[in-house]
Amino acid sequence: MSSNLTIDDARAGGTLPRRLMAVAGTLLLVGTYITLVITQPTALAEGLGQGVALATFVAYLAAAILLLAAVLPEVPVATLTLIPVALALNVILGQFVGSVMVPLYLDSIGTVLIGFLAGRRAGAATGVLGTLIWSLFAPTVLPFAAGAALVGFLAGTAARFGALRRIYLAPVAGLLSGVIVGVISAPVAAFVYGGTSGVGTGALVATFRAMGESLFSAVTKQALISDPGDKAVVFLIAALLVYALPGRLTSSFDFVRRYRVLGRRSGN
Amino acid sequence: MPQADQLHPFTVLALATAVLTITTAAGYWPLSLAVIVGCLVLATRHRCLGKLCALSALIIAPTFGSQLMVHALFTPGPSPVLAQLGPFELTGAGLWLATQLALRTAVLVVVGLLCALVIDRHRLIAAIDLSKAPPQLGYLVAATLSLLPQLSAKQHAIGQAQALRLGHVGRGPVGWFQRIRLRSVPLVLGSLQDAADRAPHLAARGFPAAGTHTRLREVPDSTIQRVLRRVALICAVAGPALILTLDRFSG
Repeated sequence: MSSNLTIDDARAGGTLPRRLMAVAGTLLLVGTYITLVITQPTALAEGLGQGVALATFVAYLAAAILLLAAVLPEVPVATLTLIPVALALNVILGQFVGSVMVPLYLDSIGTVLIGFLAGRRAGAATGVLGTLIWSLFAPTVLPFAAGAALVGFLAGTAARFGALRRIYLAPVAGLLSGVIVGVISAPVAAFVYGGTSGVGTGALVATFRAMGESLFSAVTKQALISDPGDKAVVFLIAALLVYALPGRLTSSFDFVRRYRVLGRRSGN
Repeated sequence: MPQADQLHPFTVLALATAVLTITTAAGYWPLSLAVIVGCLVLATRHRCLGKLCALSALIIAPTFGSQLMVHALFTPGPSPVLAQLGPFELTGAGLWLATQLALRTAVLVVVGLLCALVIDRHRLIAAIDLSKAPPQLGYLVAATLSLLPQLSAKQHAIGQAQALRLGHVGRGPVGWFQRIRLRSVPLVLGSLQDAADRAPHLAARGFPAAGTHTRLREVPDSTIQRVLRRVALICAVAGPALILTLDRFSG
């Protein structure tokens, strides 16, 4: 995509504040997670429990918004026009998959697709924006925005390091990404909602609780069962969709060309 | 009392944020119930009570089911057993904890959905455009909200065309994968191609435009609303801090 010929590029300048915002967002996310893991609050619905729920909610959401503010001005126009399509695909393909009674979420296909085609920054921005817009229909997803950003970021990272050059590498990358996303998102489910929001996942958490696990440990183990499988399927489907795109379209992305994302498939 | 359509979207969001943070920090069930009832009254005034109840129930019901399984059956400590089925015991303390957690989630759901129902989307997009947020944000929200029904209709049409072309696809995982493939590949290919075609036109028009620009849609705002927004945001931060500090000192 050629740069704008008529108006000064708004993206020029301001790199340092954006980097600081990205660092602050990452530190806030990691710091909150480590604090929760170390302190392991037991009170859920009284006294300190309310403060922990509120602090976890606010910290995870603020981290996601800081990351979005850092990344969004750097996203090129070619990618910006793709993001709404990806967000709509997340919702529509997620709904379609849900309607055929398959026990997977598959609601991040669009985010992973953008990560594969446009890189980790665009993937992270898509994840956060998708969650913010989806929260208009389901407000409970708001604190999971940081987890969604991580999905997009990890998809871009996986593509950059060759996960799309062999078809079998995509689900492996999805599996690993699912482990990281599951672990990072578990405190939100445990401390903000006191468990999970679905009956199926709730049954898994209840089973671990029956084995004597703490709530946080039970939710983390449930996430480690649900998320890797889901992300492996999502990464595989997104990879197959990228392979199905015409080479003219995939090679128009700077990220795909620069990191030879598709290897020999790209024909470059 | 002003109607929501007379309020700036950010005023509604700031008030909702203050209500949510204070109610969550208080963790006092009569307050949570009062907030939910207040939202239902407001929804009745805006003629969206049925929609709010239906959408809220879709989210709250599975959450409460999950809370019951996780807490009502496995809360340690002395508590009267209300029901017993094999190794599972439904205790009074567990049921109370599950209800409190579900109520906390219910406040978030009902307040959030009420905001989504009463705020005019076009006005929200205009407000984002006029704010100091990056200009890309308004475009992305507007484009996504208008693309959702378009792509949904496109997906439906693709499904019908594929059904006419191929007839029965089959059952089981293979049939499921076939259905996904037949619907998603044309949908993704067409949508990405459209987006790729749109990008040069947007860039040629100077998108994303920096600085101020004329907008035809007016977003009602006033000094009172600006003050109200600031007060609401201060309350959203100071309210929970005060409640939690008092709670800590009172033991």
